[in-house]
Amino acid sequence: MDFAYTPEQQQLREDVRAFIEESVDDDVRQEIEELGIRRRGPKVRELYRKLGERGWVGISWPKEYGGQDGSRIDQYIVEEEFARAGITVGGAGSGAPAILAAGTEEQKKYFLPGLIRGEISFALGFTEPQAGADLASLQCRAVRDGDEYVINGQKMFTTAAHYASHIYLMARTDPEAPKHRGISIFLIPMDAEGITVRPLWTIQNDPPAPAGTTYGDARTNEVFFEDVRVPASCMLGEENMGWYVGAMGLNLDRVGASRYLISVQRDEDIVNYVKSNDLGGMNLAEDTSVRDRIAELWIEAQVCRLMTMRSMSLVEKGGNFTYEGSAEKVFAPEHGVRTTETIAQILGPYAQLLNGSEDAVEEGVFAHNLMGAFQSGINHGSTQVMRDQIARRGLGMPRT
Amino acid sequence: MDVLPNEEEQMVKNLAREFLEAECPPRLARDMEKDDLGYPPDLWRQMADLGWLGISLSEQYGGQGLPLTYLGLITEELGRAIAPVPFHSTMVAALTIAEAGTDQQRQDLLTRVSSGDLVLTWAFSEENPRYLPDTIRCQATEDGDSFILNGTKMFVDNFVAAEKCLVACRTAPATDNNHGISLLLVDAGSTGVSQIALTTLAKDKQSKVTFDNVRVPKANLIGDLNHGWRVAQRMLDRGTALLCAQMVGAARKDAEMGIDYAKNRVAFGRPIAGFQSIQHMCADMILWVDGGQLLTYEALWKMDQGLPAVMEVSQAKSFCNDKCEAVVRTSQVLHGGMGFMMEFDLHLWYRRVTAWSMRLGTSFEHRARIARALLDQPGQVRLGMNLEMPA
Repeated sequence: MDFAYTPEQQQLREDVRAFIEESVDDDVRQEIEELGIRRRGPKVRELYRKLGERGWVGISWPKEYGGQDGSRIDQYIVEEEFARAGITVGGAGSGAPAILAAGTEEQKKYFLPGLIRGEISFALGFTEPQAGADLASLQCRAVRDGDEYVINGQKMFTTAAHYASHIYLMARTDPEAPKHRGISIFLIPMDAEGITVRPLWTIQNDPPAPAGTTYGDARTNEVFFEDVRVPASCMLGEENMGWYVGAMGLNLDRVGASRYLISVQRDEDIVNYVKSNDLGGMNLAEDTSVRDRIAELWIEAQVCRLMTMRSMSLVEKGGNFTYEGSAEKVFAPEHGVRTTETIAQILGPYAQLLNGSEDAVEEGVFAHNLMGAFQSGINHGSTQVMRDQIARRGLGMPRT
Repeated sequence: MDVLPNEEEQMVKNLAREFLEAECPPRLARDMEKDDLGYPPDLWRQMADLGWLGISLSEQYGGQGLPLTYLGLITEELGRAIAPVPFHSTMVAALTIAEAGTDQQRQDLLTRVSSGDLVLTWAFSEENPRYLPDTIRCQATEDGDSFILNGTKMFVDNFVAAEKCLVACRTAPATDNNHGISLLLVDAGSTGVSQIALTTLAKDKQSKVTFDNVRVPKANLIGDLNHGWRVAQRMLDRGTALLCAQMVGAARKDAEMGIDYAKNRVAFGRPIAGFQSIQHMCADMILWVDGGQLLTYEALWKMDQGLPAVMEVSQAKSFCNDKCEAVVRTSQVLHGGMGFMMEFDLHLWYRRVTAWSMRLGTSFEHRARIARALLDQPGQVRLGMNLEMPA
């Protein structure tokens, strides 16, 4: 056991903070605000170039694919500091763990350096109108035709589809096989002919959620595939093995700094708010009930942190998750909901004021969080599905 | 940063588990509930031979000099086995002697602890059982080479088994800058000492101990006169972290029994482990006990490193109180009526974890400490940063 960062890691954190202070100026923030961080205008691209120069991207990835062969903990530190500044570097949802594990040499050489440099990003093409938690019942079809596959079908809640360079698509390649055994994964450029993206607007769209809101995405999408022809080399892993490739990638993609932070940042916010705001004499910092609840939330937030560190420790040791990633994905989002709802009862009517309202607290982040926190227990595997996985993979209980 | 036990730590833990599975069946815990002494001296002797009693005591005194985390892992396994031994109380007192005692006291006492020859306990709580300095009313007055001790202590663990008891008492008024508390090591058999056994939910050994003009030699003062509160705080915090380890060990075993039971109990034509509602109860038990374990390890590690650990200790105890309790209650529920049967072993764990949740600080007390650190001093907080108690 060792619960401390090394002096070198502490220095790295200082360096990253200093860099953010210096490089993430108002111009960069404005561009992020206008485009969203993942869409990358010229200023954000320049920021990524500087990050690359410092060796702060893809730290734990293999050198031969553009990484640094460094420690996962180092990478976590960089991710956490940037996530706190509202900027995603690496982290959850990159698709990289699955490509590293199952990709061909050609795929690794093409995708990984691009992902590290931020030139490639994936929209996750999993969910369909009739396949959410029961993902394996997906119907989007990919039919082999010579050296190509022809794809037809629809994806839903594909959040990054309007700015990602590629889609990480799960499609059915064998409709006769048992449902988990007839699925394959394709890595397809979003500009392929026959792909149509249509917006779906979320409850965070109007007014827009302030930066840092848990699931503040104003927009997600539905994506239609009409006779989309892609080379067979777009397939990731073996044909019909896509379920297993995807499941493994998802587990690794679920953990990390951004997932942790979206669940705990409101804990810090409420403590810092309560101790520096008097609200006309309400003086919440001296209210015994408020103090007890805030302490309780703080303890849970520490569990979120330690579960994240456990995942990092496992990855760093080269170990495999059985249930630990799923455990983190249950505890943290549910904690985020408890915090959000408790804050509502602590701040009372102030916590209902949305971004832009007169007297909104912290740009309405607590109110917007009430529209977003529960969402983090749904996407990327619901907490119910995660509990199924803990029971089956972690505790050896049978399928229902 | 590696929050998991390393290979050596895991090995020590595994060996402890193997030994206790062989030598400490649940029947022993059941038998000792009715035993006057409350522990089997044979098992104690074996634990001494294995080096457990001195695991975190200096090699100078026959110990192994290993970090506190190792003591935590042993305590966790003893909790798992609900071993009826005065380990926790002996270690709490011994580590305080190791910290604050003179060379002579350490030599005389700790060597005997390591060899299994000396069972100890400690006494802090009184009628008002809060862990605060002004609750201490037991009074020691100086008389020549001795103190004369008067007062009553509550909830003293294993007093009937202990040869000596480390007593927090008042030697100056509470208004004193250092709270006027001293720690005296009192022979349990001294004239004027009497005890009444308390019947606890755990059916373990706790006593109400009265000191009536008990003469204690000044040589038995541990630490500096009137400066005992700081030492006592650290004693309580170490004791709390170790109790968390014990709770985590017992709660995990209890959860495993629930999961096993669900896999074997057939209802509606199939093992109930196949029902999602049961699976989710089981998943929650593991989440809770994992959380308590991680918090506990962090607290023990920080203490071992000599870092401020008040926050970490309180985080661990508050969470363990609530969540280990939830684990053992959930396991009772999974067992249906069987868990309610005296004959069935599950209640041995349930009753202990539940009783332990009320000792060394309730959830409210620990959260009050955390709230003080979070809210009663200036500056922004951030998770992952060190947060100390305000002065």
